[in-house]
Amino acid sequence: MSTLSFLVRRILAIGCGLIMAAITGIILVNALRRYTFGLSLTWGEELPVYLSIYGVMFGVALSYLQDRHMRFTIVTDFLSPALRERLFLAMDVVTAVCGGLLCWSGWLFAMRRGTIEASGLIGAANSLAESTGLAWLVWIGRMGTWQFALCVGGALLLLAAAIRFSERLRDLRNPIHETAPTASDTVRMRARGQASLD
Amino acid sequence: EVTLRFAHVDPDDWQSSKKGAAAQMFKQIVEGQSDMTVEIFPAGALGNEDEIVSQVQEGLVQVGMVSGAMSKVCKPAAVLDIPYTFADATVAWEVLDGPFGAELAEACEAKTGLKTLAYGETGFRNFTNGTRPIRTPEDMAGLKFRVQPIPLYLELVKGLGGEPTPIAWTELPNALATGVVDGQENPVGVIYNNGLHKLQKYMTLDGHVYGVDFLVMSTETFDMLSPEQQAVVTRAAVVAGNFGRSIQQWNTAGGISAVQEEGMEVYVPTAEELAQFREAAQPAVKEWLAGDLGADAEWIEKLDAAVADATD
Amino acid sequence: MSFAIVLVGTLAGLPIAFAIIAALMYFMITGDAPYHPRLVPSEMFKALGSFPLLAIPLFVLAGELMNESGITSRIIRFCAVLVGRLRAGLALVNIWASVIFAGLSGSAIADTSAIGRVFIPEMEKHGYDRAFAAALTAASSVIGPIIPPSIPVIIYALIVSGVSVPALFMAGVGPGLLLAVFLSIFVLTTVRVSDPEPGVDIMDGQSSAQALLGGIVPLLMPVFVVGAILAGVVTPTEAAALAVGYALVVGLVVYRKLGVHNLPRIFANAMVDSSIILIIMAAVGAANWVLTYNRVPNMLTDWVLANVDSKTAFLIAQMILFLVVGLFLEGIAAMLVLVPILHPIAVAFGVDPTHFGIIVIFNLMIGLITPPLGLCLFVAEGVANVGMTRLVRAIIPFFVVELLVLVILTFVPAFSTWLPRALGF
Ligand code: NA
Ligand code: NA
Repeated sequence: MSTLSFLVRRILAIGCGLIMAAITGIILVNALRRYTFGLSLTWGEELPVYLSIYGVMFGVALSYLQDRHMRFTIVTDFLSPALRERLFLAMDVVTAVCGGLLCWSGWLFAMRRGTIEASGLIGAANSLAESTGLAWLVWIGRMGTWQFALCVGGALLLLAAAIRFSERLRDLRNPIHETAPTASDTVRMRARGQASLD
Repeated sequence: EVTLRFAHVDPDDWQSSKKGAAAQMFKQIVEGQSDMTVEIFPAGALGNEDEIVSQVQEGLVQVGMVSGAMSKVCKPAAVLDIPYTFADATVAWEVLDGPFGAELAEACEAKTGLKTLAYGETGFRNFTNGTRPIRTPEDMAGLKFRVQPIPLYLELVKGLGGEPTPIAWTELPNALATGVVDGQENPVGVIYNNGLHKLQKYMTLDGHVYGVDFLVMSTETFDMLSPEQQAVVTRAAVVAGNFGRSIQQWNTAGGISAVQEEGMEVYVPTAEELAQFREAAQPAVKEWLAGDLGADAEWIEKLDAAVADATD
Repeated sequence: MSFAIVLVGTLAGLPIAFAIIAALMYFMITGDAPYHPRLVPSEMFKALGSFPLLAIPLFVLAGELMNESGITSRIIRFCAVLVGRLRAGLALVNIWASVIFAGLSGSAIADTSAIGRVFIPEMEKHGYDRAFAAALTAASSVIGPIIPPSIPVIIYALIVSGVSVPALFMAGVGPGLLLAVFLSIFVLTTVRVSDPEPGVDIMDGQSSAQALLGGIVPLLMPVFVVGAILAGVVTPTEAAALAVGYALVVGLVVYRKLGVHNLPRIFANAMVDSSIILIIMAAVGAANWVLTYNRVPNMLTDWVLANVDSKTAFLIAQMILFLVVGLFLEGIAAMLVLVPILHPIAVAFGVDPTHFGIIVIFNLMIGLITPPLGLCLFVAEGVANVGMTRLVRAIIPFFVVELLVLVILTFVPAFSTWLPRALGF
């Protein structure tokens, strides 16, 4: 399980990093291009927006694996570590169900009207498909490709919650859990090392 | 107890907004003449035009009034955007309220499940710029015009000799103020209400594209109404569409005077100059559109024939 | 039942976003047509699919790059030259370093951890109470999201139509400085530490001239980024991308403290940190759609307008509401839920929309230093390790000062509206 966990974390992090880099690059180039040549790319806004939705979905699963999501800790911090971990175990199950439902409903959503064209992308997608001879590339210009992100995100969340559940279960069988950090400890520890929002 | 939710993206105010006017008229008539209730969701409260279209299809929203979003789900409707098609608004009304409009509505209903109850208008679009007065297409050479990121508009501006630059609506004022683009194109009411005339010196009333509003309801929703209710809804929609058109005309007329008072130079092209615009822009757009429409390309000729009938 | 799911779920420690999604799923699955579960992802997709929203990950990224490029020590030295020799000099440097830091990042938490790590030990060495130093660090970092650039401001402008990011950015400058001035006055009147040679330890052997020169690079960033937005050359999103470019150049080329091998980690981290906020925005967006569809905001608006009879009463009521909510809820989440409802009411009472935006953001950012959920408080405690009880006791006077500033800002709109008006927004 720990190999799987490591692998999943790695893949998600690489996905997040690449998407973040692509978003930054496209927006920078597009802004500079417009300012210098007065011409912007037709896909210069829509593509980063849709990419970021995939990025958010990867990030949501990864931050679940890292226990970084925003949650209330008023009640849980008063519980004994053992009880708290059991409660979080239950919350892993709820999150997994939530991920499963999101995956299923995201599928229904993307299948519903997924062939609709994304106005800023379809032109570029069509010419890309023509120039490469790969017909499936037109899907870059269709909404379904991007709407599918929610389905992927739900599946990843389900996976993350399952991994977290098994990790917690393992920790709980191991006596070290008596000193397990509270959720606000996690916030604190995280903040010592790096920046966050607000 | 039937509740009809009416969604659009314009402001609620009926005096300054054509869709706002249409929605309020629709509500007034339906509530007065039947036991149905109308709830208006103005200003994109439930989402943008694309989302309104899909919500009407889903039956979440019962009535929607949309413009550009319609041709995305019903391609034949894109022919209405062919530049310099309608000589003036009355021609457009005759075409849309006549057999062509009915046939287009049927085709779109078959494709999308959306019944077009009536047509309104968002008005003719015109070019403005800050560099020089535009009287003929030659005057557009070398000028950068902001367009919506829609291929047809790129073709249109290219055909006229300008340089089309797709920029999001929200950054248009900045782009005009800083000279990222020289000009833009919009209906007069939009130009005046958003203060674009303060950023631009010249306007040419070339009326290149006539913007159509579609007042739509899903077939499913319509079929669930009783025949009496259907009659009220249809009647209310037609009056609402016409009220929207009237308010739009009123605001455009007032807007032209207002921008001139505030220092804009407005040029009205002659019939010959307009013919030059048409010859420069139409072939390129029609060729592109025919390719894009594929089997639906016959609608280009249908529209031309309907316009010819209406102009006789 | 849906409300019960949100309530029980969040109290049991379920991440806020998932509690909302779970409740919406329940609502859609059990509800009659036209409700359908696929509406949840559909509305989430809509909430996430906006170009202005991309400013959030980009500003987070710029902030993280800045943080890791060794800029903090330069800001501190710069401020030490300016105010370090006054009475209670170190405390003043702490406050004004936060002001400059505020111009670089939109995040108060980054400020607390970056400045706290330097100042809390340093101030203790010079005779300050450690808990006081931690409290001051947390309190002054609230300036971060008030002075531009600011993530809460970008989100505010996204959820309310009719206020622009540039106008709100400018509106935050006055309040941010006002808070810095009030905190400075408070420090000057209460601190008795003689603090003899404050500059010695933190100057790192540099002369005043070197320190002032070193401050140019960090000071140029807000000029460059916010300036580009004000000049109308770029949108806030593009400005955020430019800020990333600037931070990359500073980190890789100018200071050379950042290596290319650090970048994958920092880029991934920025996406993950933003996704924590963005998923809440998506969930709240979907929930707001359901509420709007059922006309809940209209009903609440009608109710408030019928029961609150004056602008003053409304301003007091909203101030108390946001303060209480800020105790328990993270600021951005609170904004997403309440602002769509309260903004139209504020407008109906004739409150300037830009002014209202700033007081709401200021109010919710005070929540960063209040228990039980105060992220800056947690961070400061993490750095200082003085125990939550001592820290909370030390922060009370600062809380009172910030409350006073909030009251002033609420009833004197000019502090917020003067600058954007003067610049023509
Ligand atoms: Na800031
Ligand atoms: Na708090």
